[in-house]
Order: sequence, then structure tokens, then C-alpha cells
Amino acid sequence: MTTRIRRGLLLAALALTAIAAPAVAQDDEPKYSRKGADTCFQCHDDQVTLAVFRTKHAVPSDENSPFGHGQLQCEACHGPGGDHSGRVRRGQERPPVVLFGSDTTTPVPEQNAYCMDCHLSDAGAAWHGGSHDLNSIACADCHTSHAARDPVLSTATEAGVCFECHQQQRTKSLKPFAHPVRHGKMSCSDCHSSHGYTGDGMMTRQTVNDTCYECHAEMRGPFLWEHAPVPEDCGNCHDPHGSNYAGMLSMRPPTLCQGCHSQAGHPSLPQDERGLPENTPSQYLLGQSCLNCHDQVHGSNHPSGSKQMR
Amino acid sequence: MSKQIKRSVLLAPLLVGLPSIGHAVDTSDWLCESCPFEEGYRAEIDAGGTYVTDEAARFGNGTGYDEDGGYVAVDGYGRYVSGSYRLDWYAEDLGLDSRVLEIDGGHQGVFGFNLGYRELPYRRFDTSETVFSGSGGDTLVLPGTWTAAATTDGMTDLASSLRRQDIGSDREIIDVGADWMPAKGFRLFADFKRQTQDGIDIMAGSSFTQASLLPRWIDYETDQVDAGIEYSTGRGAVTLAYYLSDFSNNNASLTWDTPFTSSPGAEQLRMATAPDNEFQQVSLSGAYRAEMWDTVVAASVAIGNGEQDQAFLPYTINPNVVAPPLPTSNLDGDVDTTNYALTITARPIPKARVKLAYRYDERDNKTTQWGWDRVIVDLFNSGEIEENLPYSFERKTLSLSGEYVLWNDLRVSAGWDYKEIDRDFQEVAEHEIDDGWGQVRWRPTDWLNLRVKGGANERDINRYDESVAASFGQNPLMRKYNLAYRYREYGELVASISPVDSPVSLNTTMFYAEDRYNKSQLGLTESEELRVTLDINWSPTENSSLYVLLGQDAIDAFQLGSEQFGDQDWSAKHDDDFDHYGAGFVWRDADGKVDLRFDYNRGEGETRIDYLSGSGGQSSMPELESTLDSATIEASYRWNERITATFDLRYEQFELDDYTLVSPATIPTVLTLGADPYDYDVWAFGLGIRYNFGGGEITLAD
Repeated sequence: MTTRIRRGLLLAALALTAIAAPAVAQDDEPKYSRKGADTCFQCHDDQVTLAVFRTKHAVPSDENSPFGHGQLQCEACHGPGGDHSGRVRRGQERPPVVLFGSDTTTPVPEQNAYCMDCHLSDAGAAWHGGSHDLNSIACADCHTSHAARDPVLSTATEAGVCFECHQQQRTKSLKPFAHPVRHGKMSCSDCHSSHGYTGDGMMTRQTVNDTCYECHAEMRGPFLWEHAPVPEDCGNCHDPHGSNYAGMLSMRPPTLCQGCHSQAGHPSLPQDERGLPENTPSQYLLGQSCLNCHDQVHGSNHPSGSKQMR
Repeated sequence: MSKQIKRSVLLAPLLVGLPSIGHAVDTSDWLCESCPFEEGYRAEIDAGGTYVTDEAARFGNGTGYDEDGGYVAVDGYGRYVSGSYRLDWYAEDLGLDSRVLEIDGGHQGVFGFNLGYRELPYRRFDTSETVFSGSGGDTLVLPGTWTAAATTDGMTDLASSLRRQDIGSDREIIDVGADWMPAKGFRLFADFKRQTQDGIDIMAGSSFTQASLLPRWIDYETDQVDAGIEYSTGRGAVTLAYYLSDFSNNNASLTWDTPFTSSPGAEQLRMATAPDNEFQQVSLSGAYRAEMWDTVVAASVAIGNGEQDQAFLPYTINPNVVAPPLPTSNLDGDVDTTNYALTITARPIPKARVKLAYRYDERDNKTTQWGWDRVIVDLFNSGEIEENLPYSFERKTLSLSGEYVLWNDLRVSAGWDYKEIDRDFQEVAEHEIDDGWGQVRWRPTDWLNLRVKGGANERDINRYDESVAASFGQNPLMRKYNLAYRYREYGELVASISPVDSPVSLNTTMFYAEDRYNKSQLGLTESEELRVTLDINWSPTENSSLYVLLGQDAIDAFQLGSEQFGDQDWSAKHDDDFDHYGAGFVWRDADGKVDLRFDYNRGEGETRIDYLSGSGGQSSMPELESTLDSATIEASYRWNERITATFDLRYEQFELDDYTLVSPATIPTVLTLGADPYDYDVWAFGLGIRYNFGGGEITLAD
């Protein structure tokens, strides 16, 4: 690196620091309300607001709870409310407090920073830089912090929250072969870590396969005779969000198998309409197709199972 | 610059300096005298009965309503609070095969515990039939009168021997966990989960030129432990965790009488089923927020090991096949996994945010390689020796991206992702994927939010090793789709329109990807995927809303093959479509006494394979069509503060034309289970009473 480039980089770094510094200096001392929540409830006494007292946010014995002893109560999350609760001139707009959700005036990073102040460890180490963070998803877009039962924390109702944005996955969940998400018996978070993960697809475990093995540990092996694409990525053959084909396969056998297998003989033959029941019913097309014989596609632990037939 | 963006720009550097809980604010007058803190007991119990008009396995998949007739079920939830202690319970579908019961409680901030029980019914076929008995064990036997034949149409006892054999299983999950906060910032946690799966699945047993679809009893148990310690401050968090997954299969093999004519000694055959295995992993992960440039550094390291030492079955149970002793009595399979990741995000200037991420995943299969005699389906020893191939891989991913706020909430971002995969024993030892993308997020007004993303990626391979392909007997021109060179272009659009003060909002998404396998002479050569959705919501009054949903998922692909084991001589075009239409409404009367909800979903699937060339000439396979109509009406009438009457009606119609589901004797060389293609319509009527204990309206304390 030349001296000139180094000097340029240094100057650039200094300039960036200088740009950032004045913003910090502009901060004023925050003004809090006079009596905390008692002040807030003089106006905000509706059932939706008061439902916070049915949640973990309002537990006075927990010193970490916003309503814990000596804590900032409503203003722990909604920010200093001194100006908001103070007097305003007629016609003057009341200064806002921090409001939650993507459709509010409070910038999402500011909202999320309030949540992260307590929930950094709950959100996991990978929230920052995860897809939801980078696309400015507010915690409140998914979480209803004032509800006695937050819909996104219940298996029965979670997918409904996720599908508000992940509509394409909703479509897939209605395909003929899918996990029982539409019945509310499995949730998106059974597989995905919505708070971010550094692996592909924000999975709950380190890899896609590790996640699948949580429920399908019988596929994990290691097997004596492994099927090469299996330990690398279940998604090589399956679409776990839903498929038109049994087993949530991404393509119909035998053509799925023929995307890789071309040995001389039956693997390389086109299984066209000649093999339909009304013609010459083919063992390579009907029933389980290739799996009529090669059943052990996830791996075989039989000494004679090299062709996944035992 | 809008107010919002000004705030964002000015506040960004301050985010790490937000007032944390416990900030030095004088709260001595904050008595919270009006705060209605919870104390005592409240619960809601919903008990009722449901009548199901028809028997349909698939309708019961996930729901437990697979039989016709009456069902009684209880749902509910409740909470008891006494001072610092809390106990919550939740029940769902008690009385059905899909029941759920969860209990959790503790002293918030000190300790907590949870107990859970969940059942998940998997119902696949109730129209299947088999000639085998003994499906509740590890040996399937034919009727004593059975006369074997070379083909199914020659099996004279077939029709008279068939009996109903449902295919499906029940999964039970028991979950017990606890956590303890011994000191500020520290949390210790442990969770034990046991999953059992019990039922009948389909296994295909081959006798070389013939095969039988067998009802196999599955009896699995998986124990899982997650435990660890977590430390967090306002600025960072670190977690040290341990994970164990221990799988055991109570049926290590399946033995069956072959219904086909067999050579002496091969009348009974045996397959191995999934072996017991165990996986353990230790991980350390953490994140730290630095003030400088609002930087967050997150890192994780996970080291794991998997083992499998299930005792091997013999090469064959055919006494007439000569086979040497096994080289080892069990695999002693040993896989090490390593995963580590580092992510850094920073806002070097208020308007810009950058991300650097690196991830490494390794599966190192250290299992010993042995030479194995090739005994073919209990019939003969070919004399060949084959070595087992313990597949390993390394995957490295590097991502760089940045976002810049231009003006008026217009954000542009771009990124580059690089992935490299190294493998053992496969045709492609190393491939690299370069992915470049750009994105624009624009929110010109409060009512319009747009996101457009586009990119391209190239999967390049160092070499497609045809000698490896040849060792497997592959056509050297074949390029496996997960290993082949691929060029992908993709684009995505997300738009959200919510006019201010308008009762109507609209959301739409679109994703398109086009893959080209330009260097593949055989195999998948191209594919396209288009996904489109549209949601329209209308809230004409405060107590009512209506919605319409549309979704489409279309995948087209093109494939080349060679039946002569040379250049391509057949080709096939695949069309795989699915459309979704949904609509519904929610309504509540002005007094809040009557609630009404209606949801309707229709799914239409259609897939088609057209052979454009080949020895059979042009040939179009029958379309595989599916239609799902699912409707639900839920109504409730609040009699008084305590009692609510509920009514629900479900209707589901499903039909799937599937030419592969054939009767047991259709394929001469395969004895199937003869399941019929799905075709049912079912109504389910439910009536119930919901009762509230405690609770009610929340009022401010005096």
C-alpha cells in the first residue's frame, strides 16, 4: 500500500469520525415524566395499553422488568415522556414518545435499540446483520408486547404473523405436501431463528441439516453407505416449505433422480407414457418409482446396502 | 429531508447510548399507584364437541380428525400469580391426537421452568392394503396359503389376502426445561426433550427384479438436551451451550417373506433400518456493541461430534449365499463438525451501514473405509469389493454488503457473497459461488413502501472429475444439478401500499429466478421459478375487516438424458404450478357480543412432464392435478362476562390425481400397497362453551 493511499484512508477515517461526532454532541438531557406510569395512565387507560400488566414486562418483583422497583416503567420502552406529558400550547402537536412498529414515526433502529437494551441475549448473537435487521424489521412488527399472549410466541398462531410478510411461504404451505404449519401444529421458528443466525436460511441450528435432524434424527447417520447429497444439504432434493410431490420433493421421481443418475440401463431411460398403467405399467415410474427398489436414499447401514437397496 | 430521516440520521450514532434500565433518573415519586399489577387466578376454558362427517386420513393429518363421528376436545389457558411467583398453563385439542399441554412458571428474574407435552398425528393413507401380517413387529409374514408367483398378476391369493393397512404415525414430544438467574446478567438454562414416533411407514423391499412395498413399524425415540450458561450486559452477551441429540430405533431391521417366486434360501429377505446415532455439540457465541460507529461484532464457534456404532446385520440371511465375515462388527462411524462465524456491522457514517460476515462449516467424516463384498439383495455375491465412502465437506462463506441512505428515505444497498465448497469422493471437489446483488428500498411517503432487489450468481467448478463419475458407472456427460456449473439471475419486488386514513391496504411480492446450467450436456439444463403474491385488506369499520389473498408459485425446468449412454437423446420439460386463492372476514358487533370469522383457501396444483424427444417420441405425461378447498367459520356469542357460546364449521375438499398410486397388482414386478389417490370432502361441526374464570376488564388501581 503506498503512503499516498494510506494517508487517504486515514483522512477518510478522520472525516467520517468528524461527521459522526457532532451528532453525539447535539443530544440534550432527556426529560422524564413527573410520576412515571401514573402520569401516563391519566390519558392512556385503554384495555390495549393496560394489557401490559398481563405480561412479563410488568412484574414489579423482577428488577429487570420495566415495572421493576426503581425502573422507568412505561418510559423504559417509550423513552423519556417529559415533553410528551408536559403542557403544550393550543394547536401545538404534542411531542411524540417512542412508538413501535414499522408504520410509526419512530425510526426502526431506534425502536429496536430500546428492545435490545434488555433483550440482546434473547435475540441471540446474530440479530445484527441478519436479514430482519438489515431490512429494518421492527421488533414490534412481529411482537405484540402489550398482549397477554403474544401471537408470535405460540405455535398455533406464529405462522400467521410470519406470513404477513412471507407470503410466498404461505402459498407453499398450502401445497399438497407440506409440514403441518397451516394446521398450527408446527411453527416457522421450529426451523428458523427469526432473530438471525449466521448460517443459510437463518436456521435454528448451525446448518440446514442439523436443523432437520432435530425431528428427523433417523436420517443423520453417519451411514455405512451414504448418499452423497444428503449429508450436505437436505434441500438438494426437498422443499421443506411445501411441494406438489409426496415427500416434499423438489421434482417428481424418477426425473429428480435422473438429474444425477445416468448409469447405463434403467437409470438413463426416459420414463414416459409407455410406462403408464394403461400401457405397460413400469416399475421405474409407478408406485415409488426409483424408490421401489432403492428405498434407502437417505443412507443404508446394511453391509449389502451400497446401492441403497438394503 | 423528512423529519423521520432526520431523526434517523441524528439518532443513529446515539443508539448505543440509549437510557438503559436503571438509568440514573430520580424515580422516587414514581409510585405506580394506579398500576393494576396482576394477582390471583384467571383462566379461559373452551370445551366442546365436534362431529366429523367422513373418514379421511389426510383430513386428520395434523388435526387428529381422521375418523368420522364425534370428538370431544378442551382448549384453554390460565395464569396464577402470587406476589413474585407465576404459573401459566396452556391446553389445545385435549381429547384429540393433536393435543398440546404446556405449563410454565417461576419467579421472574430468578428462576423459571417449563413442562410441555405435544402430539402430532401424521396420517398418510387409509386406503392402503397389504397381504403381510406382523406390521407391529420387525418381521412381516405372508398368509400360510400364499402361492408365490413371478409377477403380481400370477399371485392367485392376492385379492383374498389383502387387508386394510393404514399408513401413518404419531409423534409425541415431552419437553422439560428450567432456567436460573443466580446473579445479575447470568442465566443458566437446561432443557430436555424426548420425541417418540410410533406408527407404520412404507418401506420398499427389493428382491432384485421385483419389489414389495412393505408396512414397516417405526418405533423411534430421540432425546435432546440443550444446556448452557449465558451472560449479558447492556452492551454484550455471551452464551456457552451444550447440545445432545441421541436417536434410538427399536427396530434395527425389517425381515419379510417375499411374495414373488424366489430361488432357494431367498424366500425371506432382510433390510436394515435407521441406525442408532448420537450427536453432541459445544458452542460459544456472543455479541458486543461498541460505541464507535455503532459497531456490533457477533461471533460463534461450535464444535460437534456424531457417532454411530449400531451392530451390523450379516451380508445376507440366505444360507445359500457364500459371504466372508464382515470386516468389522459395526461402523464405528465418527463425524466431526466445526462451525464458526463472525459478523461485523457498523455505521461508519450516519447515512451508511456496512456488514462483513464470514462463516465456516465443516463435516469431517472420519469413519474408517473398509472393503465390503457386494452381496446383491440376498441373492448372490457378485465377487466385487466395494469401499464405503465417508463423505466430508468444507463450506466457507464470505459476505460484504453496504447500505446508504440517499434521500427522502431512499436506501440503496449492494453486496457480494462468496461461497466455496470442498468435498471428498465426489465428481466436483471444489466449487465457488460468486453472488453480486443490489437493492433499493424506497419509502417516498408514509403509505408506500417499496423494496426491489436483483442479482446474479455464478457457481463455478474447478473440474468435473469424470473418472469419479465413471467409477460409479455414470455417463461421463452427466452433470449433477447440485454440482454442475450454474449461472443464476434473480430479482425480487416487495411493495406495501397503505394509504393514510384509508381502510384499504395492499401488499404484493414477486420473486423470479432463472438458472442456466450452460455446461451440462446431460442432466438439468435450465430452470425458472416465479413466485407472486397479492394481499388486499379492507377494514370498513373498526370492528370488521375483509381480506383477499392471491399466490402463485411456478417452476419450469428442462432436462436432458441419454438412454444410449452417450450424447443426449431424450429431453423433458417440467411445469410445476401452484395457485392459491384466499378470502375471509372478521366481524364483531358494536356491543362486542358476537364475533364472526370466515376463512377460505383454495389451492390448485398442476404439474406436467412433456418428453420432447426420445425412443418413445413426443410424449406428454398425464397432468398431476390437485385441488384443495378449505373453509372455516367460527362464531361466538358472549352470553355474559363469564360465558361465551362458540360454534365452528370446517369444510375441506381435497383431490389429487396421481397416476403413480396404483392397485397392488398393477405393476407386474412391484406389489404395492394399493393406496387410492386422495379424494375426499369432509365437514366438521363444532359446538362449545367458553368459560372465563377471573380476569375480565383491566381497571386502574384506586
